[in-house]
Amino acid sequence: MFYDDIELGTRLITLMAAAMLVVQFLMVGQRLLPTAIRLFSLQSLFLACLAGTVAYVNQARHVYIAAALTLLLKVIVMPLFLNRILERATEKAEVESHLNTPASILICGGLTLVGYMVAHPFIKPHERGHSTLAVATALFLMGFFLMMNRRKAISQVLGLLTAENGLFLAAISLTYGMPLIVELGIFFDVLIAVMIFGILVYRISEIFDSMDTNKFRRLRG
Amino acid sequence: MPLIFLLLAPLAEGLICLLLRSRLLMERVSIASAVINFVLAVIVARHVGRYQTMSVLNGFLFADAMSALVVLLTAFVALMCAFYAVSYLRADLEQARISSGRLKEYYTLTPLFVFAMFLVALANNLGVMWVAIEGTTLASVLLIAFYNQKPSLEAAWKYIIIGSIGISLALFGTLLTYYSAAHVVGIESIEGLNWSRLILEAQKLDPKAMRLAFIFILLGYGTKAGVAPMHTWKPDSYSEAPVPSAAILAAAVSNCALYGIMRFNVLTSRCLGPDFSGSLLLYFGIGSMLLAVPFILVQRSTRRLLAYSSIDHTGIMLVGLGIGSSLSSLGTLLHMVYHAISKPLLFFCAGNVQQKFQSAHFRRIGGGVINVMPVTGTLFLAVALAVTGTPPFCLFQSELTILSACFQNHNLWVGSIFVGCVVTIFAGFLYHIGQLNLGSPPRGVAPSESDWWRLGPMLLLAALVLLLGFWLPSPLYRLIQQAGQIIGSAP
Repeated sequence: MFYDDIELGTRLITLMAAAMLVVQFLMVGQRLLPTAIRLFSLQSLFLACLAGTVAYVNQARHVYIAAALTLLLKVIVMPLFLNRILERATEKAEVESHLNTPASILICGGLTLVGYMVAHPFIKPHERGHSTLAVATALFLMGFFLMMNRRKAISQVLGLLTAENGLFLAAISLTYGMPLIVELGIFFDVLIAVMIFGILVYRISEIFDSMDTNKFRRLRG
Repeated sequence: MPLIFLLLAPLAEGLICLLLRSRLLMERVSIASAVINFVLAVIVARHVGRYQTMSVLNGFLFADAMSALVVLLTAFVALMCAFYAVSYLRADLEQARISSGRLKEYYTLTPLFVFAMFLVALANNLGVMWVAIEGTTLASVLLIAFYNQKPSLEAAWKYIIIGSIGISLALFGTLLTYYSAAHVVGIESIEGLNWSRLILEAQKLDPKAMRLAFIFILLGYGTKAGVAPMHTWKPDSYSEAPVPSAAILAAAVSNCALYGIMRFNVLTSRCLGPDFSGSLLLYFGIGSMLLAVPFILVQRSTRRLLAYSSIDHTGIMLVGLGIGSSLSSLGTLLHMVYHAISKPLLFFCAGNVQQKFQSAHFRRIGGGVINVMPVTGTLFLAVALAVTGTPPFCLFQSELTILSACFQNHNLWVGSIFVGCVVTIFAGFLYHIGQLNLGSPPRGVAPSESDWWRLGPMLLLAALVLLLGFWLPSPLYRLIQQAGQIIGSAP
């Protein structure tokens, strides 16, 4: 049977990791917030599929649960929730960033290289083509870059969530995920965090008449 | 069993307060629960003091002397804050800074906050500990945004963004630790991240991954502890949150974050030898102390001043950890205890002044606090002397212990910078607090002192700050010594 082929499984994993990276670059270049949310959803979908494949290939049953949770929370619930906040906070739905798009993409290319360098000592020679850890580190770094570069509150949240995706990918590629109880705890925390972000964004847009965090300049020194 | 009750009590309190409507009932429940928590914490501490460790639920919850100490301090700080909060929030209501609906938010979130801190100390699994530390952030964000003004929302946003970045770095570090232990403990078992298991196998961990893990952990939990240069959320949050929450943040949460760093420091130094993690801790510690100096000297607002003082104290504790001798470990833990006692008092004094004068800025207050509020003013001066490490008070003792450990290990440079920072901060602090308290009060402020809800805990804390320097109850001292042996880097 073709799906018993480990080589194929490894290839699929690498392919999906690469797809996640591509989506991340699209997100960096994206200017419309609703599209950025959809891209995050797509990236999480790839992550869920990847987790499913890892679970199947390595017979790691608890990773299935993590994959299902990713599918439920990050592909469906969180994007819906973010979209609702976006609708309620009346605001033109365009991303504004500090750096322009070409410069951002260039920097993210650099961050990908850094990711490969950091991951290098951990890649075992017998696991050919297993560069998911490098992709994970790159996603992690690019997520932080997005957070710093973007000015709208919601796009900063998106940056954080993609960094979280990178972390989850790293967990899968290093150790087939964390112990189940820890993973459940992490999902719970991320979910609550997104809800609190939502509450804050809502309150901020009410009081500041804007979601632009650049208007934050009262607290200095 | 007390371990489980310790976690259930604050959860139950949060739920009950969510259902209650009357302010009086919420106040009573919160005080009752704080007392229960404290009693349970004392029971746990006594048990651990006698039998070294205790654990329940197949080792899911685990307490040794280190966790017992952190739980005890957290419960104590929460108890003091519970009393203070009653009067503080009543005054806020009277001055119409908040609506009565907000009270429920405070009385529901604070116990969840305390629950998360207990879980940090009691979780055996380092991954669950991470979840709990993130939990402390999540429970406190809305407390910082409590007043719903522009600055408080801004502070809350800064707090959650910086906190989330930090906490995801720490998760990466935890993950790398799990990876470095995978070949020893095996994966797919919950044991893989259990402290009680890892500490036995620490020498066999993968050194390459552990090195990277510690860097991530230090950056991550360091953000939560307010170590420079990741400290920038601290002054904002401490000055915008309601005073009792700010006191819990400053005196209890930073302990929890330091607790995380201490645990990983032990693992790393047993795996790689004490030099690697020790020197990193020293750099960050000295860096935090140096950074606090200029900001304290030019500070314009009381509560931001306190925040920078807390950055300085975190630095002192990191230095103590970094030296890594048994004397310095003892000094660090003593400092942790004394800091947890003196910081709430400092915040309470600042809170009284802020509510009386309707401002936290030195300029707008003017001076003469001691004439307007004699008790608060006197305590403010005394505790300002205490936190800057002046002799009759307890913090002098712990700082001196760390300093002598420093010179004992021939860290001349570190020792001299330490002394320089402490002396300059002493001068800056005394200048500000002196100006605030002495002199003649502005016109139109009638002299009046706060009520006993506030003065009670404040006088108790002041007595402890003075007394513990001379006389540490022997069970507490034994507990601190045991904890010192746990965090001491030598195997």
